[in-house]
Amino acid sequence: MLLTLLHKEFLLEFRQRYALSGIVLYVFSMVFVVYVASVKVNAQVWNILFWLIVLFASINAVVKSFVQESGSRQLYYYQLADPSMLLLAKIIYNTLLLLTLSGLSFGAYSLVAGNPVKDMPLFCLTVALGSVGFSIAFTFIASIAAKANNSATLMAILSFPVILPILLTLIRLSQIALRLIQDTSYKRDIVNLLAIDAILLTLTFVLFPFIWKD
Amino acid sequence: MWWKTLSVLLVLYSLAVGMFVPLKPGIAYVSPETAKSGDTMRLTIHGYNTFYTRSRTEDIRVWLQYDSANAVLGQNLSVLNDTTAEASFYFPSDLPRPSPSVMLNAILDHPSDGVSLLPSAVELVRDTAPSFALAMAGKPASWTENPVTQLHIIKDFSFPYRNVIYESIRNTFYHVPMWFALMFLFAASVVYSVMFLLNKKLDYDRRASSLAEAGLLFGIMGLVTGMLWANYTWGAPWSNDIKQLMTAVLLLIYLAYFILRRSFDEPEKGARLSAVYNIFAFASLIPLLYIVPRMFASLHPGSTGSPAFGSEDLDNTMRLVFYPAILGFTGIGFWLAQLRTRLKRVEDRMIGLD
Repeated sequence: MLLTLLHKEFLLEFRQRYALSGIVLYVFSMVFVVYVASVKVNAQVWNILFWLIVLFASINAVVKSFVQESGSRQLYYYQLADPSMLLLAKIIYNTLLLLTLSGLSFGAYSLVAGNPVKDMPLFCLTVALGSVGFSIAFTFIASIAAKANNSATLMAILSFPVILPILLTLIRLSQIALRLIQDTSYKRDIVNLLAIDAILLTLTFVLFPFIWKD
Repeated sequence: MWWKTLSVLLVLYSLAVGMFVPLKPGIAYVSPETAKSGDTMRLTIHGYNTFYTRSRTEDIRVWLQYDSANAVLGQNLSVLNDTTAEASFYFPSDLPRPSPSVMLNAILDHPSDGVSLLPSAVELVRDTAPSFALAMAGKPASWTENPVTQLHIIKDFSFPYRNVIYESIRNTFYHVPMWFALMFLFAASVVYSVMFLLNKKLDYDRRASSLAEAGLLFGIMGLVTGMLWANYTWGAPWSNDIKQLMTAVLLLIYLAYFILRRSFDEPEKGARLSAVYNIFAFASLIPLLYIVPRMFASLHPGSTGSPAFGSEDLDNTMRLVFYPAILGFTGIGFWLAQLRTRLKRVEDRMIGLD
Protein backbone atom coordinates (compact mmCIF):
# COMPACT_ATOMS: atom_id res chain seq x y z
CA MET A 1 0.00 0.00 0.00
CA LEU A 2 2.68 2.42 1.10
CA LEU A 3 4.87 1.44 -1.84
CA THR A 4 2.02 1.96 -4.27
CA LEU A 5 1.37 5.42 -2.88
CA LEU A 6 5.07 6.24 -2.96
CA HIS A 7 5.21 5.03 -6.53
CA LYS A 8 2.25 7.28 -7.31
CA GLU A 9 4.12 10.28 -5.89
CA PHE A 10 7.16 9.58 -8.06
CA LEU A 11 4.99 9.03 -11.10
CA LEU A 12 3.18 12.28 -10.48
CA GLU A 13 6.44 14.17 -10.16
CA PHE A 14 7.79 12.52 -13.29
CA ARG A 15 4.73 13.51 -15.29
CA GLN A 16 5.03 17.10 -14.06
CA ARG A 17 8.74 17.41 -14.71
CA TYR A 18 8.43 21.12 -15.29
CA ALA A 19 7.46 21.58 -11.59
CA LEU A 20 10.56 19.75 -10.39
CA SER A 21 12.75 21.60 -12.88
CA GLY A 22 11.19 24.80 -11.60
CA ILE A 23 12.27 24.01 -8.03
CA VAL A 24 15.79 23.10 -9.15
CA LEU A 25 16.02 26.34 -11.11
CA TYR A 26 14.69 28.16 -8.05
CA VAL A 27 17.59 26.75 -6.00
CA PHE A 28 20.16 27.78 -8.60
CA SER A 29 18.70 31.27 -8.95
CA MET A 30 18.65 31.72 -5.22
CA VAL A 31 22.24 30.55 -4.83
CA PHE A 32 23.22 32.94 -7.57
CA VAL A 33 21.34 35.87 -6.04
CA VAL A 34 22.91 35.16 -2.65
CA TYR A 35 26.32 34.91 -4.27
CA VAL A 36 25.94 38.16 -6.21
CA ALA A 37 24.59 39.97 -3.14
CA SER A 38 27.48 38.86 -0.91
CA VAL A 39 30.48 37.73 -2.92
CA LYS A 40 32.96 37.07 -0.14
CA VAL A 41 31.39 35.48 2.93
CA ASN A 42 32.97 34.14 6.09
CA ALA A 43 32.02 30.73 7.47
CA GLN A 44 29.46 32.14 9.91
CA VAL A 45 27.52 33.95 7.17
CA TRP A 46 28.00 31.00 4.79
CA ASN A 47 26.28 28.74 7.31
CA ILE A 48 23.28 31.03 7.81
CA LEU A 49 22.85 31.74 4.09
CA PHE A 50 23.07 28.03 3.30
CA TRP A 51 20.24 27.23 5.71
CA LEU A 52 18.15 30.09 4.38
CA ILE A 53 18.53 28.75 0.84
CA VAL A 54 17.56 25.25 2.02
CA LEU A 55 14.63 26.62 4.02
CA PHE A 56 13.11 28.59 1.15
CA ALA A 57 13.77 25.86 -1.40
CA SER A 58 12.11 23.30 0.91
CA ILE A 59 9.07 25.42 1.57
CA ASN A 60 8.56 25.96 -2.15
CA ALA A 61 9.10 22.30 -2.93
CA VAL A 62 6.65 21.05 -0.32
CA VAL A 63 3.88 23.64 -0.72
CA LYS A 64 2.67 22.00 -3.93
CA SER A 65 2.22 18.55 -2.29
CA PHE A 66 -1.47 18.99 -1.72
CA VAL A 67 -2.48 21.53 -4.34
CA GLN A 68 -1.22 19.76 -7.44
CA GLU A 69 -4.04 17.20 -7.32
CA SER A 70 -7.66 18.12 -7.83
CA GLY A 71 -10.32 17.79 -5.14
CA SER A 72 -12.10 14.94 -6.87
CA ARG A 73 -8.92 12.94 -7.21
CA GLN A 74 -8.22 13.47 -3.50
CA LEU A 75 -11.69 12.13 -2.76
CA TYR A 76 -10.78 9.08 -4.83
CA TYR A 77 -7.60 8.49 -2.78
CA TYR A 78 -9.55 8.99 0.40
CA GLN A 79 -11.85 6.13 -0.50
CA LEU A 80 -8.98 3.88 -1.53
CA ALA A 81 -6.33 4.48 1.09
CA ASP A 82 -5.81 5.01 4.77
CA PRO A 83 -5.08 8.75 5.32
CA SER A 84 -2.06 8.07 7.53
CA MET A 85 -0.53 5.88 4.80
CA LEU A 86 -1.11 8.64 2.31
CA LEU A 87 0.56 11.14 4.59
CA LEU A 88 3.49 8.81 5.29
CA ALA A 89 4.01 8.34 1.55
CA LYS A 90 4.04 12.12 1.09
CA ILE A 91 6.44 12.64 3.99
CA ILE A 92 8.86 9.99 2.70
CA TYR A 93 8.66 11.37 -0.82
CA ASN A 94 9.20 14.93 0.40
CA THR A 95 12.14 13.83 2.57
CA LEU A 96 13.82 12.32 -0.49
CA LEU A 97 13.01 15.43 -2.52
CA LEU A 98 14.41 17.75 0.16
CA LEU A 99 17.54 15.61 0.53
CA THR A 100 18.14 15.97 -3.21
CA LEU A 101 17.44 19.70 -3.06
CA SER A 102 19.74 20.28 -0.06
CA GLY A 103 22.45 18.28 -1.84
CA LEU A 104 22.00 20.41 -4.92
CA SER A 105 22.00 23.63 -2.89
CA PHE A 106 25.16 22.53 -1.09
CA GLY A 107 26.86 21.63 -4.37
CA ALA A 108 25.89 24.84 -6.11
CA TYR A 109 26.59 27.05 -3.13
CA SER A 110 30.00 25.58 -2.36
CA LEU A 111 30.86 25.88 -6.04
CA VAL A 112 30.35 29.66 -6.01
CA ALA A 113 31.01 30.58 -2.38
CA GLY A 114 33.57 27.95 -1.33
CA ASN A 115 33.19 25.04 1.07
CA PRO A 116 34.14 25.79 4.68
CA VAL A 117 32.85 22.46 6.08
CA LYS A 118 35.45 20.76 8.27
CA ASP A 119 33.48 17.79 9.58
CA MET A 120 31.75 16.37 6.53
CA PRO A 121 29.99 13.34 8.15
CA LEU A 122 28.43 15.55 10.83
CA PHE A 123 27.39 18.10 8.23
CA CYS A 124 25.75 15.42 6.06
CA LEU A 125 23.97 14.01 9.11
CA THR A 126 22.72 17.52 9.96
CA VAL A 127 21.44 18.05 6.44
CA ALA A 128 19.71 14.65 6.49
CA LEU A 129 18.08 15.33 9.86
CA GLY A 130 17.08 18.76 8.62
CA SER A 131 15.40 17.28 5.54
CA VAL A 132 13.41 14.87 7.70
CA GLY A 133 12.30 17.62 10.12
CA PHE A 134 11.44 20.10 7.35
CA SER A 135 9.59 17.41 5.45
CA ILE A 136 7.40 16.42 8.42
CA ALA A 137 6.54 19.96 9.46
CA PHE A 138 6.08 21.41 5.97
CA THR A 139 4.02 18.49 4.66
CA PHE A 140 1.65 18.81 7.58
CA ILE A 141 1.35 22.59 7.32
CA ALA A 142 0.91 22.32 3.54
CA SER A 143 -2.05 20.01 4.10
CA ILE A 144 -3.67 22.70 6.28
CA ALA A 145 -2.74 25.60 4.02
CA ALA A 146 -4.01 23.82 0.89
CA LYS A 147 -7.55 24.01 2.28
CA ALA A 148 -7.44 27.79 2.73
CA ASN A 149 -7.88 30.60 0.27
CA ASN A 150 -4.48 32.27 0.49
CA SER A 151 -2.39 29.14 0.78
CA ALA A 152 1.03 30.54 -0.17
CA THR A 153 0.99 33.26 2.51
CA LEU A 154 -0.50 30.92 5.08
CA MET A 155 2.15 28.30 4.35
CA ALA A 156 4.89 30.78 5.25
CA ILE A 157 3.31 32.31 8.34
CA LEU A 158 2.18 28.98 9.77
CA SER A 159 5.40 27.10 9.20
CA PHE A 160 8.16 29.60 10.01
CA PRO A 161 7.48 29.86 13.74
CA VAL A 162 6.90 26.11 14.03
CA ILE A 163 10.12 25.28 12.19
CA LEU A 164 12.26 27.66 14.23
CA PRO A 165 13.34 25.21 16.99
CA ILE A 166 14.47 22.75 14.30
CA LEU A 167 16.24 25.47 12.34
CA LEU A 168 18.09 26.81 15.40
CA THR A 169 19.28 23.31 16.31
CA LEU A 170 20.37 22.68 12.72
CA ILE A 171 22.32 25.94 12.52
CA ARG A 172 24.01 25.10 15.80
CA LEU A 173 24.94 21.59 14.65
CA SER A 174 26.34 22.83 11.36
CA GLN A 175 28.29 25.52 13.21
CA ILE A 176 29.93 22.64 15.04
CA ALA A 177 30.55 20.88 11.72
CA LEU A 178 32.15 24.09 10.41
CA ARG A 179 34.26 24.29 13.60
CA LEU A 180 32.84 27.72 14.37
CA ILE A 181 32.05 26.67 17.91
CA GLN A 182 33.60 23.96 20.02
CA ASP A 183 31.12 21.62 21.59
CA THR A 184 31.77 18.02 22.40
CA SER A 185 28.22 17.35 23.60
CA TYR A 186 26.61 17.84 20.19
CA LYS A 187 25.13 14.34 20.46
CA ARG A 188 22.56 15.85 22.82
CA ASP A 189 21.54 18.30 20.09
CA ILE A 190 21.05 15.40 17.69
CA VAL A 191 18.88 13.66 20.28
CA ASN A 192 16.91 16.91 20.73
CA LEU A 193 16.39 17.12 16.98
CA LEU A 194 15.20 13.51 16.84
CA ALA A 195 12.88 14.17 19.77
CA ILE A 196 11.36 17.21 18.04
CA ASP A 197 10.94 15.15 14.85
CA ALA A 198 9.28 12.35 16.83
CA ILE A 199 6.85 14.78 18.51
CA LEU A 200 5.92 16.36 15.19
CA LEU A 201 5.55 13.00 13.43
CA THR A 202 3.29 11.58 16.13
CA LEU A 203 1.11 14.68 16.09
CA THR A 204 0.93 14.66 12.33
CA PHE A 205 -0.41 11.11 12.37
CA VAL A 206 -2.95 11.82 15.05
CA LEU A 207 -4.18 15.05 13.49
CA PHE A 208 -4.04 14.35 9.76
CA PRO A 209 -7.35 12.42 9.57
CA PHE A 210 -9.13 15.55 10.85
CA ILE A 211 -7.65 17.70 8.08
CA TRP A 212 -8.21 15.15 5.38
CA LYS A 213 -11.94 14.54 5.55
CA ASP A 214 -14.06 17.32 4.15
CA MET B 1 -18.83 33.18 40.20
CA TRP B 2 -16.83 32.75 43.40
CA TRP B 3 -13.58 32.24 41.49
CA LYS B 4 -13.92 35.56 39.67
CA THR B 5 -14.26 37.44 42.96
CA LEU B 6 -11.39 35.41 44.38
CA SER B 7 -9.07 36.16 41.46
CA VAL B 8 -9.83 39.88 41.60
CA LEU B 9 -9.13 39.84 45.33
CA LEU B 10 -5.90 37.89 44.80
CA VAL B 11 -4.69 40.30 42.12
CA LEU B 12 -5.55 43.30 44.34
CA TYR B 13 -3.75 41.58 47.24
CA SER B 14 -0.65 40.93 45.12
CA LEU B 15 -0.67 44.53 43.88
CA ALA B 16 -1.07 45.99 47.37
CA VAL B 17 1.36 43.72 49.20
CA GLY B 18 3.76 43.44 46.29
CA MET B 19 4.04 47.19 45.92
CA PHE B 20 3.97 48.38 49.53
CA VAL B 21 5.92 45.86 51.61
CA PRO B 22 9.44 47.29 52.04
CA LEU B 23 12.67 45.62 51.06
CA LYS B 24 15.00 44.27 53.72
CA PRO B 25 17.81 46.65 54.74
CA GLY B 26 20.83 46.34 52.51
CA ILE B 27 24.15 47.92 51.60
CA ALA B 28 23.80 50.04 48.47
CA TYR B 29 27.51 50.72 47.99
CA VAL B 30 30.71 51.33 49.89
CA SER B 31 33.56 53.69 49.23
CA PRO B 32 36.45 53.46 48.55
CA GLU B 33 36.23 50.24 46.55
CA THR B 34 39.89 49.29 46.43
CA ALA B 35 42.61 48.94 49.05
CA LYS B 36 46.11 47.55 49.38
CA SER B 37 47.13 44.78 51.74
CA GLY B 38 48.81 46.07 54.86
CA ASP B 39 46.97 49.39 54.57
CA THR B 40 44.52 51.10 56.86
CA MET B 41 41.27 52.18 55.27
CA ARG B 42 38.37 54.29 56.48
CA LEU B 43 35.37 52.70 54.76
CA THR B 44 32.06 54.53 54.28
CA ILE B 45 29.03 52.26 54.09
CA HIS B 46 25.89 53.52 52.40
CA GLY B 47 22.81 51.59 53.46
CA TYR B 48 19.45 51.19 51.79
CA ASN B 49 16.26 51.09 53.93
CA THR B 50 18.54 50.99 56.98
CA PHE B 51 18.13 52.58 60.43
CA TYR B 52 21.68 52.65 61.73
CA THR B 53 20.82 55.15 64.49
CA ARG B 54 18.23 52.85 66.05
CA SER B 55 20.72 50.82 68.04
CA ARG B 56 23.82 51.60 70.02
CA THR B 57 26.89 52.15 67.89
CA GLU B 58 28.91 49.54 69.81
CA ASP B 59 26.35 46.84 68.95
CA ILE B 60 26.83 47.34 65.19
CA ARG B 61 29.61 45.25 63.70
CA VAL B 62 30.96 45.34 60.18
CA TRP B 63 33.30 42.95 58.37
CA LEU B 64 35.08 42.70 55.09
CA GLN B 65 34.91 38.97 54.51
CA TYR B 66 36.78 36.69 52.15
CA ASP B 67 35.24 33.36 53.19
CA SER B 68 33.79 31.77 56.31
CA ALA B 69 37.20 31.64 58.00
CA ASN B 70 38.87 34.80 56.71
CA ALA B 71 37.52 38.25 57.54
CA VAL B 72 38.60 41.63 58.86
CA LEU B 73 36.50 43.33 61.54
CA GLY B 74 35.93 47.04 61.27
CA GLN B 75 37.20 49.22 64.16
CA ASN B 76 36.09 52.60 65.55
CA LEU B 77 32.66 52.40 63.98
CA SER B 78 30.76 55.65 63.82
CA VAL B 79 27.22 56.20 62.61
CA LEU B 80 26.70 59.45 60.68
CA ASN B 81 22.99 59.03 59.97
CA ASP B 82 20.43 56.29 59.33
CA THR B 83 21.98 55.28 56.03
CA THR B 84 25.65 56.12 56.47
CA ALA B 85 28.25 54.54 58.71
CA GLU B 86 32.05 54.56 58.77
CA ALA B 87 34.57 52.04 60.03
CA SER B 88 38.34 51.58 59.90
CA PHE B 89 39.94 48.42 58.60
CA TYR B 90 43.52 47.30 59.27
CA PHE B 91 44.33 44.85 56.51
CA PRO B 92 46.92 42.13 57.14
CA SER B 93 50.03 42.37 55.01
CA ASP B 94 49.18 39.13 53.25
CA LEU B 95 46.16 37.98 51.26
CA PRO B 96 44.16 34.86 52.23
CA ARG B 97 44.91 33.41 48.80
CA PRO B 98 48.11 33.53 46.74
CA SER B 99 46.78 35.80 44.01
CA PRO B 100 47.33 39.43 42.96
CA SER B 101 44.00 40.53 44.46
CA VAL B 102 40.88 39.24 46.23
CA MET B 103 37.29 40.47 46.32
CA LEU B 104 35.88 41.03 49.81
CA ASN B 105 32.21 41.01 50.76
CA ALA B 106 30.95 43.73 53.07
CA ILE B 107 28.79 42.36 55.91
CA LEU B 108 27.05 44.59 58.40
CA ASP B 109 25.32 43.18 61.45
CA HIS B 110 22.78 45.39 63.19
CA PRO B 111 20.66 44.27 66.19
CA SER B 112 17.35 45.63 64.87
CA ASP B 113 17.92 45.75 61.08
CA GLY B 114 19.55 42.33 60.87
CA VAL B 115 22.39 41.35 58.55
CA SER B 116 23.04 43.09 55.28
CA LEU B 117 25.58 42.01 52.72
CA LEU B 118 27.21 43.49 49.64
CA PRO B 119 29.02 40.84 47.56
CA SER B 120 32.43 41.79 46.13
CA ALA B 121 32.33 45.23 47.74
CA VAL B 122 36.05 45.92 48.05
CA GLU B 123 38.95 44.72 45.95
CA LEU B 124 42.05 44.16 48.03
CA VAL B 125 45.25 44.33 45.98
CA ARG B 126 48.48 42.70 47.11
CA ASP B 127 51.02 45.37 47.97
CA THR B 128 54.26 44.24 46.40
CA ALA B 129 56.35 46.76 48.38
CA PRO B 130 54.84 46.73 51.88
CA SER B 131 55.32 49.97 53.74
CA PHE B 132 56.82 50.10 57.20
CA ALA B 133 53.94 52.16 58.55
CA LEU B 134 52.11 49.10 59.73
CA ALA B 135 55.09 47.58 61.41
CA MET B 136 55.68 50.88 63.19
CA ALA B 137 52.08 51.04 64.40
CA GLY B 138 52.56 47.57 65.84
CA LYS B 139 49.20 46.17 64.80
CA PRO B 140 49.60 42.46 64.11
CA ALA B 141 46.45 41.99 62.06
CA SER B 142 45.45 38.54 60.88
CA TRP B 143 42.69 37.15 58.68
CA THR B 144 41.37 34.52 61.07
CA GLU B 145 41.12 36.26 64.46
CA ASN B 146 37.69 37.89 63.83
CA PRO B 147 35.51 35.53 61.81
CA VAL B 148 31.93 36.52 61.04
CA THR B 149 29.87 35.16 63.95
CA GLN B 150 26.76 35.82 66.04
CA LEU B 151 24.75 37.50 63.34
CA HIS B 152 21.28 38.85 64.03
CA ILE B 153 18.85 37.12 61.70
CA ILE B 154 15.63 39.13 61.70
CA LYS B 155 12.49 37.39 60.48
CA ASP B 156 9.94 39.96 59.39
CA PHE B 157 7.60 40.55 56.48
CA SER B 158 9.81 42.14 53.85
CA PHE B 159 11.28 41.24 50.48
CA PRO B 160 14.94 40.41 50.01
CA TYR B 161 17.35 43.14 49.06
CA ARG B 162 19.36 42.14 45.99
CA ASN B 163 21.99 44.21 44.30
CA VAL B 164 21.42 45.03 40.62
CA ILE B 165 17.65 44.47 40.81
CA TYR B 166 16.84 46.43 44.02
CA GLU B 167 13.16 47.51 44.12
CA SER B 168 12.43 45.89 40.75
CA ILE B 169 12.35 42.54 42.58
CA ARG B 170 8.63 43.31 42.91
CA ASN B 171 8.25 42.65 39.19
CA THR B 172 8.59 38.95 40.05
CA PHE B 173 4.95 39.11 41.18
CA TYR B 174 3.74 40.47 37.83
CA HIS B 175 6.18 39.36 35.14
CA VAL B 176 6.44 35.67 36.06
CA PRO B 177 2.70 35.02 36.75
CA MET B 178 1.95 36.28 33.20
CA TRP B 179 3.83 33.26 31.83
CA PHE B 180 2.08 30.90 34.20
CA ALA B 181 -1.30 32.34 33.19
CA LEU B 182 -0.31 32.08 29.52
CA MET B 183 0.62 28.41 29.86
CA PHE B 184 -2.64 27.58 31.68
CA LEU B 185 -4.71 29.49 29.11
CA PHE B 186 -3.01 27.94 26.09
CA ALA B 187 -3.27 24.48 27.65
CA ALA B 188 -7.01 24.99 28.25
CA SER B 189 -7.34 26.26 24.68
CA VAL B 190 -5.75 23.05 23.38
CA VAL B 191 -8.07 20.94 25.56
CA TYR B 192 -11.07 22.67 23.96
CA SER B 193 -9.56 22.22 20.49
CA VAL B 194 -9.25 18.48 21.15
CA MET B 195 -12.83 18.39 22.43
CA PHE B 196 -13.96 20.20 19.29
CA LEU B 197 -12.25 17.66 17.03
CA LEU B 198 -13.83 14.78 18.92
CA ASN B 199 -17.29 16.30 19.19
CA LYS B 200 -18.08 18.98 16.60
CA LYS B 201 -19.78 21.54 18.82
CA LEU B 202 -19.06 25.08 17.64
CA ASP B 203 -19.08 26.27 21.25
CA TYR B 204 -15.86 24.36 21.99
CA ASP B 205 -14.17 26.18 19.13
CA ARG B 206 -15.35 29.55 20.45
CA ARG B 207 -13.88 28.68 23.85
CA ALA B 208 -10.61 27.49 22.33
CA SER B 209 -10.15 30.69 20.36
CA SER B 210 -11.16 32.95 23.27
CA LEU B 211 -8.69 31.20 25.58
CA ALA B 212 -5.97 31.60 22.94
CA GLU B 213 -6.81 35.32 22.67
CA ALA B 214 -6.55 35.74 26.44
CA GLY B 215 -3.28 33.79 26.39
CA LEU B 216 -1.90 36.07 23.69
CA LEU B 217 -2.84 39.11 25.77
CA PHE B 218 -0.93 37.69 28.73
CA GLY B 219 1.99 36.92 26.43
CA ILE B 220 2.12 40.56 25.34
CA MET B 221 1.86 41.74 28.94
CA GLY B 222 4.61 39.31 29.97
CA LEU B 223 6.81 40.62 27.18
CA VAL B 224 6.16 44.25 28.15
CA THR B 225 6.76 43.72 31.88
CA GLY B 226 9.88 41.77 30.94
CA MET B 227 11.13 44.58 28.72
CA LEU B 228 10.55 47.14 31.48
CA TRP B 229 12.53 44.94 33.84
CA ALA B 230 15.26 44.29 31.27
CA ASN B 231 15.59 48.00 30.63
CA TYR B 232 16.33 48.50 34.32
CA THR B 233 18.56 45.50 35.06
CA TRP B 234 20.19 44.58 31.73
CA GLY B 235 20.36 48.14 30.42
CA ALA B 236 18.18 47.69 27.33
CA PRO B 237 14.58 46.59 26.75
CA TRP B 238 15.61 44.07 24.08
CA SER B 239 18.91 42.21 24.22
CA ASN B 240 18.23 39.20 21.98
CA ASP B 241 18.06 36.93 24.97
CA ILE B 242 16.99 33.46 23.85
CA LYS B 243 13.83 33.63 25.94
CA GLN B 244 12.86 36.96 24.44
CA LEU B 245 13.32 35.47 20.98
CA MET B 246 11.31 32.36 21.86
CA THR B 247 8.52 34.57 23.21
CA ALA B 248 8.45 36.54 20.00
CA VAL B 249 8.14 33.25 18.10
CA LEU B 250 5.35 32.14 20.43
CA LEU B 251 3.42 35.32 19.69
CA LEU B 252 4.01 34.79 15.95
CA ILE B 253 2.58 31.26 16.17
CA TYR B 254 -0.61 32.44 17.81
CA LEU B 255 -0.98 35.45 15.50
CA ALA B 256 -0.72 32.97 12.61
CA TYR B 257 -3.44 30.91 14.33
CA PHE B 258 -5.79 33.92 14.31
CA ILE B 259 -5.06 34.61 10.64
CA LEU B 260 -5.70 30.95 9.81
CA ARG B 261 -9.08 31.11 11.57
CA ARG B 262 -10.21 33.89 9.29
CA SER B 263 -9.02 32.51 5.97
CA PHE B 264 -11.83 30.05 5.35
CA ASP B 265 -15.24 30.60 3.79
CA GLU B 266 -16.99 27.89 5.78
CA PRO B 267 -16.85 28.42 9.56
CA GLU B 268 -16.84 24.68 10.34
CA LYS B 269 -13.82 24.04 8.12
CA GLY B 270 -11.98 27.02 9.59
CA ALA B 271 -12.76 25.87 13.11
CA ARG B 272 -11.58 22.33 12.39
CA LEU B 273 -8.32 23.28 10.70
CA SER B 274 -7.45 25.94 13.24
CA ALA B 275 -8.14 23.44 16.03
CA VAL B 276 -5.65 21.11 14.36
CA TYR B 277 -3.09 23.91 14.05
CA ASN B 278 -3.67 24.92 17.67
CA ILE B 279 -2.77 21.42 18.88
CA PHE B 280 0.21 21.26 16.53
CA ALA B 281 1.44 24.70 17.60
CA PHE B 282 1.07 23.93 21.32
CA ALA B 283 3.12 20.76 20.91
CA SER B 284 5.84 22.66 19.10
CA LEU B 285 5.96 25.05 22.07
CA ILE B 286 7.50 22.25 24.12
CA PRO B 287 10.78 22.35 22.18
CA LEU B 288 10.48 26.13 22.03
CA LEU B 289 10.20 26.61 25.78
CA TYR B 290 12.03 23.64 27.27
CA ILE B 291 14.61 22.33 24.78
CA VAL B 292 15.94 25.28 22.78
CA PRO B 293 16.57 27.69 25.71
CA ARG B 294 18.85 25.08 27.29
CA MET B 295 21.16 25.18 24.29
CA PHE B 296 21.92 28.88 24.45
CA ALA B 297 23.22 31.24 27.11
CA SER B 298 20.56 33.46 28.64
CA LEU B 299 20.50 36.52 30.85
CA HIS B 300 17.52 35.13 32.72
CA PRO B 301 18.06 33.73 36.22
CA GLY B 302 18.71 30.01 36.41
CA SER B 303 19.85 30.11 32.80
CA THR B 304 22.57 27.49 33.02
CA GLY B 305 20.57 24.37 32.30
CA SER B 306 17.15 25.09 33.66
CA PRO B 307 14.74 27.38 31.86
CA ALA B 308 12.69 28.05 34.98
CA PHE B 309 14.06 30.12 37.77
CA GLY B 310 15.54 28.31 40.73
CA SER B 311 13.94 27.91 44.13
CA GLU B 312 16.70 30.02 45.68
CA ASP B 313 15.39 33.06 43.81
CA LEU B 314 12.26 33.17 45.96
CA ASP B 315 12.16 33.52 49.71
CA ASN B 316 9.21 32.65 51.89
CA THR B 317 7.84 36.20 52.04
CA MET B 318 7.88 36.41 48.27
CA ARG B 319 6.11 33.07 47.97
CA LEU B 320 3.23 34.54 50.00
CA VAL B 321 2.67 37.06 47.20
CA PHE B 322 3.95 35.10 44.20
CA TYR B 323 1.60 32.08 44.35
CA PRO B 324 -1.57 34.14 44.97
CA ALA B 325 -0.54 36.37 42.05
CA ILE B 326 -0.29 33.33 39.75
CA LEU B 327 -3.75 32.14 40.80
CA GLY B 328 -5.23 35.62 40.54
CA PHE B 329 -3.88 36.45 37.08
CA THR B 330 -4.81 32.99 35.75
CA GLY B 331 -8.34 33.44 37.09
CA ILE B 332 -8.65 36.86 35.45
CA GLY B 333 -7.44 35.32 32.19
CA PHE B 334 -10.13 32.65 32.31
CA TRP B 335 -12.74 35.28 33.12
CA LEU B 336 -11.66 37.36 30.10
CA ALA B 337 -11.88 34.26 27.91
CA GLN B 338 -15.35 33.51 29.22
CA LEU B 339 -16.54 37.03 28.38
CA ARG B 340 -15.09 36.75 24.87
CA THR B 341 -16.83 33.38 24.40
CA ARG B 342 -20.19 34.87 25.36
CA LEU B 343 -19.66 37.81 23.01
CA LYS B 344 -18.82 35.47 20.13
CA ARG B 345 -21.84 33.29 20.89
CA VAL B 346 -24.13 36.32 20.70
CA GLU B 347 -22.47 37.50 17.48
CA ASP B 348 -22.86 34.06 15.90
CA ARG B 349 -26.53 33.92 16.85
CA MET B 350 -27.09 37.36 15.33
CA ILE B 351 -25.84 36.22 11.93
CA GLY B 352 -27.83 33.00 12.26
CA LEU B 353 -24.94 30.62 12.90
CA ASP B 354 -25.50 27.96 15.54
